Amino acid sequence: MILPPLRYLRPGSVGDAVHWLTHIDGAIVLAGGQTLVNALKLDLVAPTALVDIHRLDELRSIAVSPDRTLTIGAATTYAALAASTDVRLTAPSVASMAAGLVDRQVRNRGTIGGNVCLNDPTNNFPPLLVALGARFTVLGPEGTRTIDADDFFVGTMTTALGNGELLVSIEIPPLPRGARLVHRHLQVGADSWAMARAVVRIDDDNGVVVASRVVVGAVLGSPQRLRLVERALVGLPTGGDLDGAAAEAFDRESIETVGDVHCSADYRRQMSKVQLRRALRDLAKGTPS
Amino acid sequence: MTMQDTATSTWTGKTVPRKEDDRLLKAQGEFGDDTPIAHLGHVVFVRSPYAHARILDIDVSAAESLPGYLGCLLPDEVDVLTDGFMELQPAPADAEVDKCLAAGGKVRFVGEPVVAVAGTSRQAARDVAATVVVDYEPLPHVVDARRAVEPEAPQVHDEIGSNVAWDGVYDWGDIDAALKSADHVIEVDELHFHRFSSTPLECSVVTVSYDAGIDTFNLIGGCAMPQITTLMMAAAMRHPAEKIRIVSKDFGGSFGVKIGMYVPATAVALLSRKLGRPMRWTETRTEHHWMGGHGNERWFHNVKMAVTSEGRVLGLSYDALDDVGAYTRYEPLGAVIWTQVANACYQLQHLKVHYRSIYTNKGPVHPNRGYSRLQHMWLVERMMDIAAHRLGFDPVQFRLQNYVQPEQYPYETVNGCVYDSGNLPLSLEKALDLIEYDDARRLQRESAGTGKRIGIGIGSTLDSGTNNFGQARLINQFLPFSGNTEGGLVRMGVDGSVYTVTGGVAFGQGHETTVAQVVADMLGLTPDEIITHRGSDSALSAQTGFSGSYASQFAVTGIGAILNATRKLVREIQLVAASILGATPEEIVLEGGHALVLGDPERALPFAAVAGIVHFSPADLPAEVADEVGLVGRAVYRAPFEIPDLERKRGNLTLTYASQIHACVLEIDEETGEVKILRYGMVDDCGTPINPMIIQGQVHGATVHGISAALFEHFAYDDDGQLLAANFYDYHAATALDLPSLRYDSVVSPSPFTPIGAKGMGEGGGAPLHAIAAAIQDAVGGDGGVVLESFNPPERILGLLNGGTESTVRVLR
Amino acid sequence: MTQPQDEMLPISVTVDGRLETGQVSSRTLLVHWLRDDLDKRGPKIGCDTGNCGACTIRWDGLLVKSCMVLAAQADDTRVETAASLAHDDGSLNDLQACFKEHHGLQCGYCTSGMLMTATDLLESGEEITEHSVRRGLKGNICRCTGYENIVRAVRAAAGHDVEKPHGAAEEVAS
Repeated sequence: MILPPLRYLRPGSVGDAVHWLTHIDGAIVLAGGQTLVNALKLDLVAPTALVDIHRLDELRSIAVSPDRTLTIGAATTYAALAASTDVRLTAPSVASMAAGLVDRQVRNRGTIGGNVCLNDPTNNFPPLLVALGARFTVLGPEGTRTIDADDFFVGTMTTALGNGELLVSIEIPPLPRGARLVHRHLQVGADSWAMARAVVRIDDDNGVVVASRVVVGAVLGSPQRLRLVERALVGLPTGGDLDGAAAEAFDRESIETVGDVHCSADYRRQMSKVQLRRALRDLAKGTPS
Repeated sequence: MTMQDTATSTWTGKTVPRKEDDRLLKAQGEFGDDTPIAHLGHVVFVRSPYAHARILDIDVSAAESLPGYLGCLLPDEVDVLTDGFMELQPAPADAEVDKCLAAGGKVRFVGEPVVAVAGTSRQAARDVAATVVVDYEPLPHVVDARRAVEPEAPQVHDEIGSNVAWDGVYDWGDIDAALKSADHVIEVDELHFHRFSSTPLECSVVTVSYDAGIDTFNLIGGCAMPQITTLMMAAAMRHPAEKIRIVSKDFGGSFGVKIGMYVPATAVALLSRKLGRPMRWTETRTEHHWMGGHGNERWFHNVKMAVTSEGRVLGLSYDALDDVGAYTRYEPLGAVIWTQVANACYQLQHLKVHYRSIYTNKGPVHPNRGYSRLQHMWLVERMMDIAAHRLGFDPVQFRLQNYVQPEQYPYETVNGCVYDSGNLPLSLEKALDLIEYDDARRLQRESAGTGKRIGIGIGSTLDSGTNNFGQARLINQFLPFSGNTEGGLVRMGVDGSVYTVTGGVAFGQGHETTVAQVVADMLGLTPDEIITHRGSDSALSAQTGFSGSYASQFAVTGIGAILNATRKLVREIQLVAASILGATPEEIVLEGGHALVLGDPERALPFAAVAGIVHFSPADLPAEVADEVGLVGRAVYRAPFEIPDLERKRGNLTLTYASQIHACVLEIDEETGEVKILRYGMVDDCGTPINPMIIQGQVHGATVHGISAALFEHFAYDDDGQLLAANFYDYHAATALDLPSLRYDSVVSPSPFTPIGAKGMGEGGGAPLHAIAAAIQDAVGGDGGVVLESFNPPERILGLLNGGTESTVRVLR
Repeated sequence: MTQPQDEMLPISVTVDGRLETGQVSSRTLLVHWLRDDLDKRGPKIGCDTGNCGACTIRWDGLLVKSCMVLAAQADDTRVETAASLAHDDGSLNDLQACFKEHHGLQCGYCTSGMLMTATDLLESGEEITEHSVRRGLKGNICRCTGYENIVRAVRAAAGHDVEKPHGAAEEVAS
């Protein structure tokens, strides 16, 4: 339970945070701390300093632009996301996911930025944000850059963030008219650790799938887009056999899973498919995202 | 006073709110890590990252320059300062050497303590530990008991010559003949009962202050078996047991597993003496999962059951491999404890078991709620279920027919145990009512083709309580244990207030409340007026050697001792009042805080006056009364046992048998194997209740331990011997959301053998493990596989739906 | 990289209505400061991964687990532990009384955290049902009660008519 020795730094601005992250060797960001502090207790990480961004108002804003793009500050807590009318109206899937995440205590403290920057394969926001086509605004020593979700998530527990870079905000573009999105997961117990996750989005134009994003989590390299499945869906009538087409394409995807105490790698893979098919069946039934 | 007085009592048998609750609700309890101590040092253990390795070198030199470094304890020092802890097993496995730090130059499981370091603060101790360098040479390891018995397997303890800690055959009746002649024989190659633990929420905390002036170790911390703990420590440290004092205050759960606390406590004690200051070790959750005690993991092989064409079960035989982990500690008592319930709930006539306790490179097992009995009962119940399914008997009727029947009590089992009382058919009937059995069957029929399957299962179990420690001789004839006692003390203070201490050490069972209820009845007071000692203190003379809270016994032994002690105090009050009021002691009754003359309430003496006279004015009393009366009643309760017949391995091994019949309805997702419990009912029968609310609470708790163990909890090890569930991320203890609401009912079959007809209870016998396995089987149906594991996560259930275990289960006839 | 050193940081926190000041090392967890320096026994430690919820407090009005917060982060904030729940005269508040009546605690180790979470849930204005209570409490592990009586106690505190403990009805009748 005792943390290793470290410095605690509370920057007054995002600029200060980046400065420290750039210039203090081994300094890392402390956001909500709901994973990081536990990793510190278990000696899984050994930073020299924690740069606490939780109180930076610049990172906690939620805004909707005239084109209905939602911009969420990286240090926005799950509870704040769930409570925000803006989020509920423009990105209901984000609000509902935040509202059910982990538990009451963690929702008050955990941040969406921390969730995605950790990119633990079992985390739920990374696959969702990929399906939503989110963009990540990052401030670093060289200035600001914006990274697409597809490029932001690089692999298990890794992101495109470079040395000294800080995630500032996440932009979620509005879903096109006719787009629908479903998130399905298989968890330990009623609502605990994920064994499989699938997020499916189809963009429907006059009864035809014109675009799709199919993302699985809880696999190696999560979140992983299933491009073959996506391609198989495009062009199909939205009322057609999406489930069958997806299932067939899924078997051709290269998906790597690992086993752990909860289940085997094989089961994970099999369940990814089940969750994908269920998501598609939900879409067919018109289950709201 | 006679027993009838309590039977017709005001408080005993009633749901009374708990005396413990106010302080706990107001955050005013005092748990192990709460006690403030001046000048306290903190201990951290450096632990093995290997399942099995030779220790080549230990380097603590970097620690010495760190701020806050106080000192350390190394295995070499421990070797000099202590002898190995007492072992219960006979030769050759008695050669096992178990010390508070890795013994014999090697480590035997991941998480085994190698060095104990001390710092002036928690942080200093942590930093010191981080600088200790231990050089290991990894050795081949074994984590599967089935492999551990192979001749070429790595040896956990080199000095023993094999990994077998205990080996014995129990053979009652004539199972070979029964298997030959029975109409039906079912054979199963292998079943497996998995590793889990009740994982109390408070991990162990041990604070030791060594008082050099009186050469005494003062321990503070939850200790479920204090006198045995002092004995274990005393023998190892070559120190008088009376100079080891153990004080427990509030105690955040044990469920049996904390019986192993003497091991780390010894290291903390040695450090306290060495460094001349109080020391505290606060176990982390990870440490608790590594070494805080796992429940016994057991493999059942060559299981055979004989059944007649009418559906009467004659008996069974099997070979058991009990995986005890790297050290025996309380083992191999598990090798005999299960025989307390040899018959399970059934009229078996023949039983033959070849039982072996096996060392592996895993964390040691400790007794855990339902200790060793639930494994055997799970096996029997599973076989009953498999037999019913395979032979086409209705699982309900099959159990009803084979249960010990109400008119058969007291019922003698195949091995001479005596089931005291019960009504299993009525309990089952009530359990089925709780789950609305007929309606559940309707739901099951309607679920066909929906992608969900519904299954209904029954778990029939016994909770044997109040051990006859003579059974220890069945595993080692030289062990000097037999019978069972518990102590209790009731005294009247200088102002007439009444104070009680029991030998038991509660960790949530409400002993303060139940003690106050029975004492209040005997003294004519209210429970609120009884001052109950919180926790335990080995120096308070309330304990006997067997004192503690384990093995479902407090309602018999703890309460029995308190009744006996109170009886002595009552007699003393009567003597004093009689002499002052000019009556005979027999004429004195106790009511409303007064001793008064029966039929003449004007002649009364308040308790304060009784106390005042005895404590401050004994000259008011006749000498013969003043000489006898101290207003302290100290008594033991002795359970009426004889030493078992060692030759035939027969005898009465426990005094009472509470029963738990559970029934559940669950739903399985055909695509994922996920389980949802739709209805869950428990019917408890623990004889005459003392506080029905507390009993119900114990049943709830034991039920959820079982449900969670059946579906979520598994101390799995990987091939490298790493524990995969070393924290609550990976060891999923059920949350409120994972569970159904629980439906409870009770049956009352008073025990003819105990002071007030109560039976020990609380362990519950693991009934949910049986009920859930049976319900999964029921849902899977005849086309799928057979449930052969006690742990059934979704993946395994999916496997069952796809068949796969067929070849290992055979109906020979 | 050199071994980092702790820094001692001054903090001042209003804990259960009283201003507390102290020096904490930069790595000290809030739960340890509350327990070790202030002898606050409400927050307890039951795990090392933020799962068990025994350390739950309210922090500037928000329910959090104090084992995942640095003490330094609490500077200039307000903390409430379970010790603040009872009435000023020491009597139990409604929720505590319901826990007692419904036998919602056994060993008592999870109790302070449970009470804090339940308080937060009851004050949130969310609809109280058996399911919402179970969901609300899922960040708090109890190993004794099986949760059943905790759920009943919380519902009773919300005014629900819930089943009384076994044997209690009988007593009322007599």
